[in-house]
Amino acid sequence: MAYTAHAIAGRWTQKIRRRAATWARRRQGDDRLPVTLHTRRIYILPTRAGFAFAALLSTMLLAGLNYTNSIALLFTFLMAGFALIAMHLCHRNLAGTMVQGVATVDAFAGEHGRLLITLENHADSPRIALEAEIEGAQGEPSRARVSVQTGDSARADIAVPLTRRGRLPLERIRLSTSFPFGLFHAWTWLHLPIFLIAWPVPRGRRDPPPETASGGSTQAVHRAGDEEWAGLREFRDGDSPRQVAWPAYARGRGLLVKTYQSPAAHHRYFDLASVPGDLEQRLEQLASWIVAAHARGERYGLKLDDLEVPADGGNEHRERCLDALALYGGGAP
Amino acid sequence: MNGDARANIAAALLFAGGVLLVAGNAPAWCVVIGLSAVVWRVLTSSGRVARPKPRPGTRFLFGAVTAALVGAVALNFRTLNGLAAGTALLVVMGALKLLESRARRDDAILIGVALFLLLAAALADQALWRAPVYLLAAWGAATAIALVAHGDGMLTTRGALRLSGRTLLMALPLALACFAFFPRIAGHFWALERGSAAATGLTDEMSPGSIGKIANEYTPVFRARFEDALPPRTALYWRGPVLNDFDGFTWRRARSRVYHAEPLRRLGPAYRYHVTLEPTDQPWLFSLDTIDASPRRDMFLSHDRQLTGLGPIMVTTSYDAVSHLETRSDAALSTLGRRYEIRLPPDRNPRALALATELRLRSSSDAQYTRLVLDWFRTHGLEYTLEPGTTSLDSVDTTLFDTRKGFCGHFASAYATLMRAAGVPARVVTGYLGGEWNPIGGYVLVRQSEAHAWTEVWLDGQGWTRIDPTAVVAPERLQRGVFDLLPEAMPATTALFHDNAWLRGAAQVWDNMNQWWQDNVVEFDLRSQFNLMQMLGIDLPDWQHLGWAFALCLVAWIAWVALALRRSVPRRRPDRIARAWLRATRKLERITPRAASEGPLEYARRVGDARPELAGRVAALALRYARLRFGPSADSAEVAALEREVRTLAV
Repeated sequence: MAYTAHAIAGRWTQKIRRRAATWARRRQGDDRLPVTLHTRRIYILPTRAGFAFAALLSTMLLAGLNYTNSIALLFTFLMAGFALIAMHLCHRNLAGTMVQGVATVDAFAGEHGRLLITLENHADSPRIALEAEIEGAQGEPSRARVSVQTGDSARADIAVPLTRRGRLPLERIRLSTSFPFGLFHAWTWLHLPIFLIAWPVPRGRRDPPPETASGGSTQAVHRAGDEEWAGLREFRDGDSPRQVAWPAYARGRGLLVKTYQSPAAHHRYFDLASVPGDLEQRLEQLASWIVAAHARGERYGLKLDDLEVPADGGNEHRERCLDALALYGGGAP
Repeated sequence: MNGDARANIAAALLFAGGVLLVAGNAPAWCVVIGLSAVVWRVLTSSGRVARPKPRPGTRFLFGAVTAALVGAVALNFRTLNGLAAGTALLVVMGALKLLESRARRDDAILIGVALFLLLAAALADQALWRAPVYLLAAWGAATAIALVAHGDGMLTTRGALRLSGRTLLMALPLALACFAFFPRIAGHFWALERGSAAATGLTDEMSPGSIGKIANEYTPVFRARFEDALPPRTALYWRGPVLNDFDGFTWRRARSRVYHAEPLRRLGPAYRYHVTLEPTDQPWLFSLDTIDASPRRDMFLSHDRQLTGLGPIMVTTSYDAVSHLETRSDAALSTLGRRYEIRLPPDRNPRALALATELRLRSSSDAQYTRLVLDWFRTHGLEYTLEPGTTSLDSVDTTLFDTRKGFCGHFASAYATLMRAAGVPARVVTGYLGGEWNPIGGYVLVRQSEAHAWTEVWLDGQGWTRIDPTAVVAPERLQRGVFDLLPEAMPATTALFHDNAWLRGAAQVWDNMNQWWQDNVVEFDLRSQFNLMQMLGIDLPDWQHLGWAFALCLVAWIAWVALALRRSVPRRRPDRIARAWLRATRKLERITPRAASEGPLEYARRVGDARPELAGRVAALALRYARLRFGPSADSAEVAALEREVRTLAV
């Protein structure tokens, strides 16, 4: 009976929390890094212990008045002042924190992705026990706790369980603290357009398709795998600034772009259409081939219906391919 | 030691503190159980003793122990209601919590229990020496709260102590302001129950030797501060229980109102004084003979001018009284009163009755008779002593003719008997005589050792007249205390304080501090609050003024706290480079918004993708910015170039 009541209360709290979060989102809009947590976006409420403490103080006040007992009243007032300062301390533990950066580390479904939040403390005293929390796909929260010393930065590292293939939006990060006395809970919401990608689990027993040979090509692409240096050329519209040769620019030689020559090599092409079976199984088979090929240092390409990833190698290519698999068809149903 | 263990131990120690503070008001077995549980918890949590593994029967056993202990408390007090029983119950429950589990939440509950124990202790005892103890307990409570919340590596014990100490220091001004201005709602939300304090002092009975027993104690009964002049020492008769019924051995107070109070004419100067009475568990209120009127609405003056409270005095009580040392009644005593106050058991104390008849025959009036009896007391070798030896049922005969020894009670009893035997209305009055003058505090401290008994005799034309037969037997008693006269009766510790001038002085200073505490802190109430407001310049203070003053203090305190806790965040104004880039982004955002986690080069690439004709310029701009921002050095010419580029950038 009590358990049920508890569950209902819990559901209600959840509902109210969601509502408040939606309201805060409308109020605050999207955030843009770096974010300084200003006072006006920090919310604070007593914790359950805080409410219990308040009830205790009211009882003590009534008893003190009832017995006209000065010492009991003095004691009550002292503890009430203590609670008010506790509220202040809790609020200022969070207020003014700077969220410097947020990074994500994707992973295979069934594993944990990571959300890394870098917090900076420009205040003259440490910020202790800050908690970063995100709500997962099933509503279960993942959190990490971190303290930031004066003038320092620290990273909250949240392990987020990834259950289904596809994109897991992390639109709402909750930063909170109940330091130092646990009587109050101050929190804020960060709204950032970030997400984690859950790659399909690499599994499948089919043999990979055979290697095919192809000629090399000169392209202005980011250095990947074991391509060879091919020299600099003039910057042309449409080139990516990532390929701009900084040192040359710094030396006043104008905007130049680095180019690479990929050697003529063997590679494999993984085609979704070539694998029979259930879609998820086929994607998992492709993932398993990609992982194996990457491990062997091979070059490979990917073909998913009309999406084609040209043959290449290296970490970035691997991730590009796995991302394509993960997002195929908008993720797992 | 890990955080959990630290939280466990902090909560347990706080609870131990609470138990020790209520040790005087809870049964000893409760205290022992509470403290044992604390010891057990500290030993298991610190790993010195292994915690037993839970077995299937443990739960059942635990339930049985719980029921047994609650039952024991109920048996002990015959109720679970009220302060004393509630305190015992709290102690027992806390002890069970300590044995049962060690989760965070249980530690929090334990802290709650300990805070309630502190409250109970404060309700039971507000003595000055306890004030610093309560303050320490508050500090301990705050520390325990911090450790239970964040003892897991985020806070060291020392850090928690420092933090909570600072927090409490900052809270202190608010506590004092609340104390001064928070309106003290007078009235009782729930009934105050009777405690079970051991009765001390005068009761509504007096047997031979009972006063002597009380006079052995050195504990204070009340303090009286006179507003103007101090009455002469020999007139400090503090009137207590008036006894009218005598069975030949014991004098008792009549249960009912028997006759009307006779009108009084007050002579001489009025003495105004403020009495602070310690709890006595008796209803008697003491006043200087004779008090004018009842000082408070909840105090009553009976037909025989006996001042009583509504019930037993369980807490320190104070009142302002006015007395006249000399009074006179011109009217006659009512027939009923006269008949009532001459009753004697006919078959008791035959020798005393015979003496009365003989002496009355030799005197011409009641007044002369009283003097004749006093002469008899003076001339028949009566001895004033605290230990008059055994007595018989005919106690007056024994005192007057056999042992010839007695304490004040014996002589008062004998004198009243002789009066009544001769048809002169008489009653025994018990109370205190004298007191110790505290020159530092300017008040008279009356101790149990000053307990005294005397008689009041009705004389036509004068009214009830105080006659103290002890004054004839031992005239020095009027001038000095019992222990001055009978030093051999003093216990050793009392003798130390009584005889050593330095110790006596120190005791007086301490007593004076206590009295100050009692007057200005313990008894601070709504009236004191209004007085304070008047001192602050408000002529007719009321609730609203108090409320305003309270609100003002609260706001001021909050402002002060905000100021004191403000964090100096060095606010860095963005430099020229950052500002230039900000302007550039603002322009470029018209093309495509910048993602939150996007670096300048990446963003430039995306802008370039969207507007290929701008790609070169934007890439160059981003690059220049990146080099200035993240590169080793930035000369102002380069910064100026960046600013120029931003200015000329046309989207």
